Amino acid sequence: MQKTSKSGFFARMKANCLETFAGFKQVVTQAKGRVSASMLIMGLGQLLYKQWIKGALYLLAQIGFILYFVFRGAQDFIGFFTLGVRESNAWYGIEGDNSVIMMLMGILSIIAILFYVALYIANVKDAYNIQCAVDAGKKPATFKKELGSLLNRNFYKTALLLPIIGVCVFNILPIVFMIIIAFTNYGGDIVPPALVDWVGFANFGKILSLGQFASTFFRIFAWNVLWAVTATAINYFAGLGLALLLNKKCVKGKVFWRLFPILAYAVPGFITLIAFKYMFSYGGPINQMITGAGGTAIGFLDVDAKWMARGIGLFVNAWLCVPSSMLLATGVLSNLNVDLYEAARIDGANAFRQFTAITLPYVLFATMPVLISQFIANFNNFGIFYFLRGGLYMNGYFLASDTDLLINWLYNMSIDNNYYSIGAAISIIIFIITSIISLTVYVMSPSYKQEETYQ
Amino acid sequence: MKKRGLKLHKAVDAVLTYCILIAVCAIFLFPILWLVLASFSKTGSIYSFKGFFPSAYSFDSFRKLFTDTEMYNYPRWFGNTLVVSLGSSLLGTALTILTAYCMSRFRFKSRKAIMKATLVLGMFPSFMTMTAVYLLMTQFNLINQHFGLILIYSAGAPMGYLTQKGFFDTISYSIDEAARIDGASNAQVFVRITLPLALPMIVYTLLSSFVWPWSDFILPKLLLKNKELYTVAVGLMSLDNTEFSRFAAGAVFIAVPIVVFYFALSKFLISGMSAGAVKQ
Repeated sequence: MQKTSKSGFFARMKANCLETFAGFKQVVTQAKGRVSASMLIMGLGQLLYKQWIKGALYLLAQIGFILYFVFRGAQDFIGFFTLGVRESNAWYGIEGDNSVIMMLMGILSIIAILFYVALYIANVKDAYNIQCAVDAGKKPATFKKELGSLLNRNFYKTALLLPIIGVCVFNILPIVFMIIIAFTNYGGDIVPPALVDWVGFANFGKILSLGQFASTFFRIFAWNVLWAVTATAINYFAGLGLALLLNKKCVKGKVFWRLFPILAYAVPGFITLIAFKYMFSYGGPINQMITGAGGTAIGFLDVDAKWMARGIGLFVNAWLCVPSSMLLATGVLSNLNVDLYEAARIDGANAFRQFTAITLPYVLFATMPVLISQFIANFNNFGIFYFLRGGLYMNGYFLASDTDLLINWLYNMSIDNNYYSIGAAISIIIFIITSIISLTVYVMSPSYKQEETYQ
Repeated sequence: MKKRGLKLHKAVDAVLTYCILIAVCAIFLFPILWLVLASFSKTGSIYSFKGFFPSAYSFDSFRKLFTDTEMYNYPRWFGNTLVVSLGSSLLGTALTILTAYCMSRFRFKSRKAIMKATLVLGMFPSFMTMTAVYLLMTQFNLINQHFGLILIYSAGAPMGYLTQKGFFDTISYSIDEAARIDGASNAQVFVRITLPLALPMIVYTLLSSFVWPWSDFILPKLLLKNKELYTVAVGLMSLDNTEFSRFAAGAVFIAVPIVVFYFALSKFLISGMSAGAVKQ
């Protein structure tokens, strides 16, 4: 089953590539004079076909890119590979190269080049389309008409432009940057103004060969997986349960009852986390009540409180996340067709049967993507143990404690202790693991397979 | 006979339901109540509490919060937070809704690729990229500027479009098709039909993208170096340990706008507008 879908995937990839290639070939072999003009100078073909505005725009884009590349881009592009050659020297007053900035600007220049190539291809394709239209004796679409299609047939292009640019600059670019750092020796003593160098896979080798890194990694990883699965399951089913409970006919004053979880949701997370830390501390209200009743105070979050601290982490996380998952479930349930229940009742299905046959499949379908993102969020849940037990380093762990998740370990390593490149290498490993898990779940989930079922 | 059994069953069910509800609500209320009480405590430290309750009450912490601005300029922080959160909420929601609508309603070549890519990107531990974001912001001259924060928050928002897409998927196509037959373009369908139907989801998005900047501390801590520019989260975390009741007071105060928001809009949060729009 797995195998067939995989080979199907590759077959589709191959078919796509061949199709694209055939498309190129067709354009190149059938291009006539004016299309070739567009291949030489962007926009020229369009101008020769008397498409003034579009041609001028393409031409301007090309001039702009050439100017950028001459004055800035080429330099940035070369800098990406050298990462700086001039070391700074305050004594002689030499301002050296900053390797990290050079890395970043190098990536930007590569993006600019890729964008230019895409634009160039679009330009040739456009000229070819005009040629085809003219050959067929039709009038090519006017500029005004093409603009109009951006609001109708091609509305998605208009709408997605801004989101995609934003995500590229503020999400993808930093991620690419971090991946690149994993292959350098950036970190420790080697931070600008010292020059950074490429080191290949040396960081990954270190993680696998150095005993302290490897043993800490696998211990934390095992706890991390357990945490993510348990926390996600607790939050999801508690939220759904609460939503169903509040939807029951016998519950009067739903608005009043909903007030409490919404109140918990409304209080910003870091406040709750700090409050919980105080609550479970020796001077906190829980211990004061215990001592008041004649007991001895309990060190809930002490160094040796391994499983208790983990349990408290799960509880606090549920406190924070159940309200939002309840709201989501309520919203999804309100879209569920109520007639289905009527029909089920007439058919004699009891409440449990109605839940497993109607509610659960529907809610799972509608929220499967959210469930996966909640799993990822829990896997990388930084706040809980940062606030509850932050800054604790234990024996047997390298710069971590037994409640720390991988994300906390990364923070300790790279922000507190400057192990940037090793931290980046570990984050790539985490990334590969989580992406395999969730992509598999997502592709196998009903929301992906049968998108149209509940339409 | 059978009827009485049914009635009894119903009564037991109701009692059980209410018991669970009361327990759950108590758990949710307990820490908040404790924090509110602490904000009214006379002394700053938690060690002066008698069990759950502070030993003496006063309004001092609140008064100090707004008058004693020499060290900790709380009113200023509050304004900063409001600007950042409102800006990123509006911009982020617009981007998210647009993305979700396109992914739900259009079938284009790179669609599945984009969906998988966003899923994969979302898995990357977000603050591993913080160093990179910081360097980027220095290049763009956006350090120590609230606009920089707004840009980062709202640019990242469309990555979480899946919830909204799931919602659009459950709105029936037949309304769209009817409008299109009447000659509406896709843009018109989106503005006139889909948006009003998606009102609950828009409110949900607005709120959730408002809350995130409102309570985030990692990013502002990284990008705002000037104490006058702090958001409340960073400001409150910079408070000294001995200022516990001031922390509690500040915390209670920033929770108020959100709580008001939520309650004013809870109707939208919950009711699905498309229920009844199309009979299936």
